[in-house]
Amino acid sequence: MEEGFIDYQKVLDNEEHAIKSTQSVIQKAVDWFRSKSMFVLAYGTGCGAIEMPPTFTSRYDIERIGVVGVATPRQADILIVSGYCSYKTLKRVIRSYEQMNEPKYVIALGSCTINGGMYWDSYNTIKKLEDYIPVDMYVNGCMPRPEALIEGFVKLQANIKDAKREAGYIKYRENNAFYKTNQKKIFGDNIEPTYEANFVGMNQ
Amino acid sequence: MIDSLAKHYEIEKKAERLFKIRIDQNELLRTINFIGSSSNFMTLSQITCADWIEDEVFTLNYILTTEQRNKNLMIALDIPRDKSKLPTILHLFPQAEVMERDLHEMYGIDFIGNATLYDFALENWKEIPPLRREFDTLAYVNEQFEFRAGREDNKDVKAETKRRRAEAKKLKAKMEAKK
Repeated sequence: MEEGFIDYQKVLDNEEHAIKSTQSVIQKAVDWFRSKSMFVLAYGTGCGAIEMPPTFTSRYDIERIGVVGVATPRQADILIVSGYCSYKTLKRVIRSYEQMNEPKYVIALGSCTINGGMYWDSYNTIKKLEDYIPVDMYVNGCMPRPEALIEGFVKLQANIKDAKREAGYIKYRENNAFYKTNQKKIFGDNIEPTYEANFVGMNQ
Repeated sequence: MIDSLAKHYEIEKKAERLFKIRIDQNELLRTINFIGSSSNFMTLSQITCADWIEDEVFTLNYILTTEQRNKNLMIALDIPRDKSKLPTILHLFPQAEVMERDLHEMYGIDFIGNATLYDFALENWKEIPPLRREFDTLAYVNEQFEFRAGREDNKDVKAETKRRRAEAKKLKAKMEAKK
């Protein structure tokens, strides 16, 4: 394991997720192009959102490796969950994720998405992000520096290019019941933000 | 200004620029109205709440600030935990809307007259308000979430810090003795 990354942790790298079939030449080319053009949804949860402006602006300039920010989920390839996720945020994250077009990938930034981090005993912060949406890359740290985020992107590019591992969106499609069950466990039947929260006082 | 208020209330000086008065819960509106109109404490900067479960009261502090932002006045009052109701001060300070809504969500205090006491930060919360002290956060978390393996050997932070500091101190003393 390289310092600063849980890239090769067991969760993501077990046998069942390894792709055994070989790629065709065209598929290889498509994956190569795909890895060089990653559109990131401009969305921040938690404190990790602070690390993104320097990553995207002139100091670290992640655009040189083909990573660009876009405004809406429908144009985005990558969702960065940048830090702790409360119930309320997670609902929006899931909704954004489901609106994104495939192929789509998730980068989870910070300890909080991995095991709850410093919010491990919080009553409304989730502990494992991968229970609710599939995660393609974890970048650990509290908070990870932009360099760590960039290395996470580079690793993710390598994964996309070599198609080493089943992408998250395929898992989400095929094991949808698993994710929906977990989401239902904490949200009840209002999985998506249905805007049917307790608005009792609104009518007065 | 403080002197003029001292004629009407018993003012306790908590710090150089912080004053406190303690009132009964029925006097809330009258007091805030009076202080807000007759003195320079014209802005409501915060409403805080402490849960004294042993005394079965919530202590609320309405913190008022002067126009120059150089003095704070805390208006403290106790309300019973089981019948936690207070009149809203929305008509005096519109910014109280969010503060009251927050207190309603976290402690279950009803502010009569505030129409916005619906879900705020917590959506579809079904338990008792989470900052009330009878709410067992750890039990709730253990029941609600599944932890990732690897936290079993976590140590008590305070004890561990103490132990490490003692070790470092010992090491330092040893090094100095060598010199």
